[in-house]
Amino acid sequence: MNAFFKTFVIITGVLTSGLISTASFAAEVLKFSHITSIYAGQEETAIKQPEGIACDDQSLLIVADTGNGRLLRYMFRDKTISSGSPAIQLPELTYPTHAQLNSKGEIFVLDRMKRRIVRLTPQGAFHSYLEPTGLPSSAAVVPRNFFIDRNDMIYILDIFSERVLVLSPEGQYRHQKEFPKDYGFFSDLAVDFKESIFLIDSINAMVFSAAKDATAFSPLTQNLKEYMRFPTGITTDNKGHLYLVDRNGGRIIILGPDGSFLGRLSAMGWKEGFLNYPSQLCINRRGEIFIADTNNNRIQVFALKSSPGDL
Amino acid sequence: MKTIYKHLTCSSSIFLAFCMLGVLAVAGPAYAKENFKLRPGAENKICLKCHETFQKTLKSRAVHQPLKTGKCSDCHDPHTSAHKKLLTSDTNALCTGCHKEVLPENPRSVHQMVVAGDCVKCHAAHASDNKFILIKPGNELCSECHQDVGTKAKEARFKHSPLMKDKGCLNCHAPHASARSDYLLKNVVPALCRECHKTNQASFKRKHLNYPVADSKCDSCHSAHGSNTRGILYDKVHAPVGENKCKQCHLAAGSPNATRTKKQGTELCKECHLDTIKEISAKNRMHWPLSDKVGCLNCHNPHGSRQKMLLAGSVRDTCGKCHADTVALQQWSIKNPKNKGLCEPVRTGNCVTCHSPHAADNLLLIRQKDISINLCGECHKWETHSTHPIGEKVVDPRDKNLTVECLSCHKACGTENKPNMMPFETTYDLCIQCHPERRK
Repeated sequence: MNAFFKTFVIITGVLTSGLISTASFAAEVLKFSHITSIYAGQEETAIKQPEGIACDDQSLLIVADTGNGRLLRYMFRDKTISSGSPAIQLPELTYPTHAQLNSKGEIFVLDRMKRRIVRLTPQGAFHSYLEPTGLPSSAAVVPRNFFIDRNDMIYILDIFSERVLVLSPEGQYRHQKEFPKDYGFFSDLAVDFKESIFLIDSINAMVFSAAKDATAFSPLTQNLKEYMRFPTGITTDNKGHLYLVDRNGGRIIILGPDGSFLGRLSAMGWKEGFLNYPSQLCINRRGEIFIADTNNNRIQVFALKSSPGDL
Repeated sequence: MKTIYKHLTCSSSIFLAFCMLGVLAVAGPAYAKENFKLRPGAENKICLKCHETFQKTLKSRAVHQPLKTGKCSDCHDPHTSAHKKLLTSDTNALCTGCHKEVLPENPRSVHQMVVAGDCVKCHAAHASDNKFILIKPGNELCSECHQDVGTKAKEARFKHSPLMKDKGCLNCHAPHASARSDYLLKNVVPALCRECHKTNQASFKRKHLNYPVADSKCDSCHSAHGSNTRGILYDKVHAPVGENKCKQCHLAAGSPNATRTKKQGTELCKECHLDTIKEISAKNRMHWPLSDKVGCLNCHNPHGSRQKMLLAGSVRDTCGKCHADTVALQQWSIKNPKNKGLCEPVRTGNCVTCHSPHAADNLLLIRQKDISINLCGECHKWETHSTHPIGEKVVDPRDKNLTVECLSCHKACGTENKPNMMPFETTYDLCIQCHPERRK
């Protein structure tokens, strides 16, 4: 990566939120830098249109290499990527997209073709399909996306029955939250450390939230089309900041816990540091950000130099 | 001290200027309405001394009130003006100054001409032989712009009778704005329809197979501008509608929730369109809206439509319901004069030329696996496009996992104000992406 581009990344990544967000974030500065990109698995087969990425707080990284119908496993230590195990390719998982890890290292992946969540062992062997049990009614479940929180609770974004299903780590129904009345289309959900649930409405570019004990979702933000085109992914960091993946816009939008706009990361492009139709983002405790840069056939790793709120 | 004085002087000047502007603002219109110190008896006559043709205009059936009363200065300044025809202000402000009733508070829809302040597109400023000094009578005027609607209405075998009556379009539409409904309708459907169609009559019930449709949206089956199908049903209707087989999808007419469908989403459509659903399900990527409770009806009308394949609107409008960002990009590209070579599907908003709306095996629901050779090649002979290397064996220098193809240099859905569907301002900016050694 040339010096010109490195500067660009810093410039786009450094955003003084005092200008554009609430006073509580007046002193907050977000600094990002591009660390590396991943182009292939262990056997050197090029990654093709990856749509999912999951990471843990140690060093494990799981990539849904969607175009090749496989999962790739990497370790990321000291800013260096290593791939120590062969690709995972299973007949039960033909079109892997969104990926998540639980605290035991089990891998959960959404198969877009079958619209089912597949559960794998930490070694990558097929465990089971995630079929929610004990549901209050026989209404159909179509998972558009899902999230696993730090207690291994599973949250399913059920677009058919317009609800978020909250399941135990074993898939037993615990409770559900209905979608709000007026929404466009929900593409993804995230849960923060307070167990608040966040939904991203792609059509209206809005975030809805529901605190742990809330009975309903309410808008956390207004329409954010000023900042993004078509967000399809959402995740949180350990400070409660929200990271939205603007798929059509080729960038990441960062919001404060209160929904205030903090800044943008990257822009649409082909060179390293730029994104083209990104799908999923994962951020670990160290502030390392992994992005499935789908249309660029690679994974990109950024570092959040100073965690928001630390400065 | 000097600085303070300067501020004071400056503030005082601004204050004085505002006072003067205020005086002028108040005095201006009053001056315009005055008789300009005309000699006694000169009003009504002095302008017409030179503007002789107005003698004839005054004999028209409808004459604008100020002209009729000889108050030309209500609209024109006799001496100078910053507006054409010596008007005292721009047309919009001038007309709405007197005709405040034209725009209701919080209108649901407003006629484009009113928004643009183009009152004179419909009304003559001085006089005409038509009511409301319209430049043409009734439907003839509306058809000037709404040609397609006018032609279809005229040629329809089965006509909607209000359209043929005296007020024509204005039986259902408000000419300027509607406080109640979209499309300038005077009331929402079905309340508007119920003003003429008595839903409690036996004949109405019989025609609707005893289904309780009094509160249903009439325009989901009927074409209000007429059609070639009996009962002014849309010319393109869902087969069960045309065959009076409502029961095929809905519960029986006598049941408590008769207008409800038997099943939801694609589950219902699957009953007849099983092959299509199977084909869709076999693809890697189903368009997500097909999986929700609304299913096919996110894009298709279940009863009838003016569009092909019973689409809810034009392809652009249907896709734009969710993908407004991309359609906006298209529109922006269309308006961009630099985009001379705009791709036909982008120009016409025909998203389905490149995308498969139900399902596909490829990202972005692209119809063909290989964009450059197969998809773009359907319309463009890319091999002869230029001498630039392109194809599966040419690696993109910006990303070793990409090969050079059409979309390496072009963005297929449009690129706002950038030329030739490129994502960069100039060809130079594009080329130095891969050829930095050529940087000037």
